[in-house]
Amino acid sequence: MPELTIIYDILAYLFPFEFMKISFMQRALLGLLLIAPMAAVMGIQVVNFKMAFFADAIGHSAFTGVALGLILGISPQWTMPAFGLFVGFSIMWSQRKSTLANDTIIGVFFSGVVAFGIAVVSRNSHVARDVQTFLYGDILTITDQDIWFILLLFFILFIFQFFAYNRLMYLGLNSTLAEVHGVKVSVYQFIFAGLLSLVVIFSVWAVGVLLVTALLIIPAASARNFANSSGQMFWYAIIISIVSAILGLFISTISSINTATGATVVLVSFIWYIISAIYARFLGQ
Amino acid sequence: MNEAANTLFKFNSVSVTLGGNKILDKVNATVPKGSCTAIVGPNGAGKTTLLLTLLKKVSYKGEITFYSPEKKALPRIAYVPQKLQIDTALPMTVLEFMVSGQQRVPFWFGVRTKLKSRAMELLKSVHMESVANRRLGALSGGEMQRVLLALALAQKPELLVLDEPSASVDIQGDILLCELMDKFRKELGFTQLMVSHDLGTVSHHATHVICLNRRVVAEGNASETLTHENLAAIFGLHMGLAQISENCCTKAHLDA
Repeated sequence: MPELTIIYDILAYLFPFEFMKISFMQRALLGLLLIAPMAAVMGIQVVNFKMAFFADAIGHSAFTGVALGLILGISPQWTMPAFGLFVGFSIMWSQRKSTLANDTIIGVFFSGVVAFGIAVVSRNSHVARDVQTFLYGDILTITDQDIWFILLLFFILFIFQFFAYNRLMYLGLNSTLAEVHGVKVSVYQFIFAGLLSLVVIFSVWAVGVLLVTALLIIPAASARNFANSSGQMFWYAIIISIVSAILGLFISTISSINTATGATVVLVSFIWYIISAIYARFLGQ
Repeated sequence: MNEAANTLFKFNSVSVTLGGNKILDKVNATVPKGSCTAIVGPNGAGKTTLLLTLLKKVSYKGEITFYSPEKKALPRIAYVPQKLQIDTALPMTVLEFMVSGQQRVPFWFGVRTKLKSRAMELLKSVHMESVANRRLGALSGGEMQRVLLALALAQKPELLVLDEPSASVDIQGDILLCELMDKFRKELGFTQLMVSHDLGTVSHHATHVICLNRRVVAEGNASETLTHENLAAIFGLHMGLAQISENCCTKAHLDA
């Protein structure tokens, strides 16, 4: 596997703090700098499509993905994303085939998936540590191999967003209108759901299942308050997510603070949201 | 042969059943080429559903047959929905909306100059150039419908499908919208198919009318079709409405 040393050296140079000399901190920062903007960009459409509950269901499937890995004797690194994808596509497919409301279908899958995970874990008491990682995230234990995974997803996702961003905005407004006017709505929806499932799974790694939705929607929601166009919204979401990731990681390492990294990142982005809401109230359009 | 030359398409025995309820029952109707065809009927008559069969958004039994000299399967269709429910917090500008189906390069780098000038022309043609940089959510109902009309025209349609275009528009806006559509239809030569329950609008602007109440009650040119008997048959015996409509028909007749 190729070395990531150059990137780590650049990060250590850009942030010349004592703790940035530690390799797990360098990996954590790089991981967050990849995951946070991915989540923020996908979050723009999650907010447009009202898919926060969908993302939450996928996040919870990460737990079951770990459990499945235990049963099958495969590393959770593989079973988590694979199972997340499977659940994401299953929900999308059911939504298209059923006359039930979308959130009802998601709720059904959500409970089924979580119940399956709990059932498996209740038979294997030694997975308690995995459960804690699942709940709170653990970006500090991320490995080079994980980083390569995320880097690959990062490139695929941004290539997709580059070509699909405008169309996704269009079909978010009215999918019938977009479809009649020649947009291949179902293709975009399925690719989007697949990528979103993967981003959510990796975000669970970073901030845990309780906060995964925050990583997606807070930068997007704040960006909505600041931006005057959908082009600007993209840049605001990216900047807010990156600044929150860096500040969150650094603040969490201050010895007098010493909080969970994921939670601190989300808290910083929450402050962004408050500022954006005040801006929108008093200065926005 | 002559019929085929004057017809854009036909609904042949189109039936739709949703959740056990028959929404459309063997609908047979013709949409003449270049016409302004209006589908009229009471609430729940299946008007919107009939449009959705055409847009392939609902499954149906029967056939929709297109008559095209070039043997094309489908004409280019543009669509103006009833009312675009958008969340007002979405920061998407009218200009971005106008080109979102055409521009590949993401809006992160702005709207491309060439597409922008084309979109501005279209907005100008519906008197909406002043709102180009406004948020979509800030538009009034009438402004939104005119932007949607401009967007539809950008598709260079052969068939323009409108679902209650003036449902959320005030009277002034409605008159302007109808006049614009008449003007464009004559200039660009497309066929217009709209759902409406505003009989005044229909009698003034439609050249062909389909009276629908789950099945076709009557069909033909506006003045001959919007009769007291037909309206009573589809709307029920509502004399006041029938009376007003009759006046409208008389006026339309005189205008013609």
